[in-house]
Amino acid sequence: MLEDILTKQKSLFTTGAQSVLRGQESRFRRVVISDGNLVTNDRSEESGICARVYQNGAYGFASMAEYSEEAARKVIEKATKNAGYLDKFNAEKKKAYPGIPNSYITSPRMIIDFEQKRIIDLCKEIDAHVAKTYTDLISRTIVYREDTMEKVIVTSDASDGHVAYPRCILYVLLNKMSADGQPMELFKAFGGFGHIEDHFTDLTHVYEGVEELYKDLCAKANGVYADAGVKTVILHPEVAGMISHEAVGHTVEADLVLGGSVAGPNLGKQVASELVSIVDYAHTAFGTAAPLPVYIDDEGTPASDAVLIENGILKGYMNDRESAAHFGVDPVGNARGYAFSDEPLIRMRNTTVLPGKDKLEDMIASVDDGYYLLQTGNGQADLTGEFMFGINMGYEIKNGKLGRAILDTTVSGVAFDMLKTVDMVSDTVTWSANGTCGKKQFMAVSMGGPAIRCKIMIGGR
Amino acid sequence: MANILEISDKVCEYMRSKENLKGDLTISETESNEITVKDGKFTLFRTLIDNEISIKVIKDNKYGTTKLNKCNEEAIIAAVDDAIRSAESADADECYDIAPGLEPAEYKLGVLEPDIDRLMERTKELSETIATRFKKIKLMEMYTKYHKGKSVFVNTNGTKDVKDFGYYEIFLEFAGNDGESSTGVMWSAAIFDSLDKDLITLGNIEKDLTDAERSLNPMKISDKFEGEILLTPSCVSMMLNIVTANTVSDSAIIEKTSVWLDKVGEQVASPLLTISSKPWDERIIDHEVHTEDGFRSEDYTLIDKGVLKCFATSLYASNKCGVNRAANSATDLIVEPGDTPYEDIIKGMKKGLIVGAVSAGRPGANGELAGVAKRSFYVENGEIKGAVIETMISGNLFDMLGNVKAVSKEQVCDGTMAVPYILVDKVTISGGN
Repeated sequence: MLEDILTKQKSLFTTGAQSVLRGQESRFRRVVISDGNLVTNDRSEESGICARVYQNGAYGFASMAEYSEEAARKVIEKATKNAGYLDKFNAEKKKAYPGIPNSYITSPRMIIDFEQKRIIDLCKEIDAHVAKTYTDLISRTIVYREDTMEKVIVTSDASDGHVAYPRCILYVLLNKMSADGQPMELFKAFGGFGHIEDHFTDLTHVYEGVEELYKDLCAKANGVYADAGVKTVILHPEVAGMISHEAVGHTVEADLVLGGSVAGPNLGKQVASELVSIVDYAHTAFGTAAPLPVYIDDEGTPASDAVLIENGILKGYMNDRESAAHFGVDPVGNARGYAFSDEPLIRMRNTTVLPGKDKLEDMIASVDDGYYLLQTGNGQADLTGEFMFGINMGYEIKNGKLGRAILDTTVSGVAFDMLKTVDMVSDTVTWSANGTCGKKQFMAVSMGGPAIRCKIMIGGR
Repeated sequence: MANILEISDKVCEYMRSKENLKGDLTISETESNEITVKDGKFTLFRTLIDNEISIKVIKDNKYGTTKLNKCNEEAIIAAVDDAIRSAESADADECYDIAPGLEPAEYKLGVLEPDIDRLMERTKELSETIATRFKKIKLMEMYTKYHKGKSVFVNTNGTKDVKDFGYYEIFLEFAGNDGESSTGVMWSAAIFDSLDKDLITLGNIEKDLTDAERSLNPMKISDKFEGEILLTPSCVSMMLNIVTANTVSDSAIIEKTSVWLDKVGEQVASPLLTISSKPWDERIIDHEVHTEDGFRSEDYTLIDKGVLKCFATSLYASNKCGVNRAANSATDLIVEPGDTPYEDIIKGMKKGLIVGAVSAGRPGANGELAGVAKRSFYVENGEIKGAVIETMISGNLFDMLGNVKAVSKEQVCDGTMAVPYILVDKVTISGGN
């Protein structure tokens, strides 16, 4: 656990400049067993300190790969110098952004480290189960990944804190030959916030999940190409969660709004069906801990929720302190950096579509000719709201009943157009806490949603 | 600053003192200075001082790796012990190995003394050029960077490579924007070793900016048809990365999911295609001097006139599967140019798209691709009709390799690759209406 050696360095902050000092330790654990062969067996750690200084509208930033008082002094000095260097080139000066009352914020969990043997044994146990149970696979891969971080945050004019974000994820990937001799693959992820014993002491849920995965893979091995075109679909909560993150979330990040995103001219306007509300939760959602709780961000802003869309109306953006000042709102803790050497960017936390009143069975039964889209491997969206998601698993819906599985395909659309077609929303939110957003830097994020019925463009042959 | 040569010697000696252990160690010290411009204003100046220490151990044929950034002898020896404990938890596999010892070598590559003030001037100049010449470009973010470092690689068989390196880098994120509408986000990037030229001349920056302006007010395609797609060099690079990951990489060979498992020596692509990985090509700025396994890096050709020559496999995969070991582990893609000028390729297109990027789910081992065409333009009867939106392309990547109709005479070189435009036939294109 990091010792707080930074608070006493506050005296080095330059008067009049807005300064943040952050110490961070990140740990990564990774084991990959491919067809019984251990192909990755890795432990890595990095730690260091960064300082950021805001002066007249520009930031100076410096980092060093060392967690010490001397390193803290050096990075403050260098960041201050860098801010001064840039100031010479900017004719237009900006005022300081509003201060935030000081408090000291901690998270309830710190990081527990485990021996690599525990991780390898877990992967070997699951691999042995898969090898013994499912004998007609071309290949199987078990991946265990931990990405945890601990941060000490000290500011000149906001809150301070000491927080930790432990996370572990286990992926099972199966590969099977299709009826026409093509390799078909599918994966499932388990785990989330916490450590190995939080999620994998009892493996019953993993084996049940792998059984579902295998059944879906067998169906996919006999799958058919989706019929390309605009279709009525039911999006599984995992896919709806990806929409809330990629297709809506990114367009309402204030840095992208300032870059010209479609959300800019639509604030306060109807951008979705009245059935759609989307919130970026900080640390508590629906009365319980959010999947990846964030208590304070890397600018010293205490974290609270950001309401993005309410009953179809675009209500607000996600900000850092500078953009919040620009838009005249309070920041709610969305500025985070991934590595100790990363400056904070505006990031999502736990972004979800809120639940509706429909039952999933009724939603499927309501579709005469469409698709039930279950799993997405990745997604991307654009400033224009144009989005794409890869669909790894899905089924036809014919006359209200699930039909044949479909082969890998892609769905796309324009977010604010597609969301206006939502006419049913299920009553249960399912979260996925294994997301890693790749906006300039990586960042652990969670996303969730109920199932939603909408019209969407689906690719095919 | 730590003496990394001395530390590497001591740690390697410590590794050699362990019974039945072989392994390697890389210690790197790096420093980056990075200038960020947003919408014409300088917003951030970063100085990043970092270390990276990578350790690989194979003890009693059991394998473990670790990384850290604490650069002192005590921390690194503790990390070696940690890696050994990790390895001892694993199963033995005789296929794990490291390279034999190489003759000690020292490399001094690129720009070792930066000129940050000149870089700042060049950055300011480019920002002003964009504001003046590209009035419908919103420069969301641009950074220029100087990155330098020193690394030492040693292994227990006696190799000791010392590499000093330095280079400049530029990245732009922008959109076409006329005040009323915006295109999607576009990027352009390059790494380079000289500040003698205007930055706009690097890589494909100028054309990318031009294409972004032309992408405003896109059209929708109303029908679905089988047509031609002209892939831009950056799109070719993206597609070939997917193809190689699915066919010639360690995982594809070890898991036997590659459709090219038994195709070495056979035609897998059009005879117009020759694809190589060449870390020593003069257009590549940051050269890989040894592979991840510790062999001296050499250039190699993966596909020669459409014929698969080898796999891009590591020493482990080579030992495990009885296949070749790739001559380098870099990703310095060189695709040989063709003999048709870019403009002539467009003139010869009947109906199709120029495709700058494809936003798609990552294709599986079978190569099926369906995605949204981004940074793309509709072409009919040899004429560019306009940018497109909500347009999908679909097909099979391996079929596409076989359906190459032309390769451009021009290559785009951005310091990491040299790649031409490639025209592919028989791809399904469908509009959203």
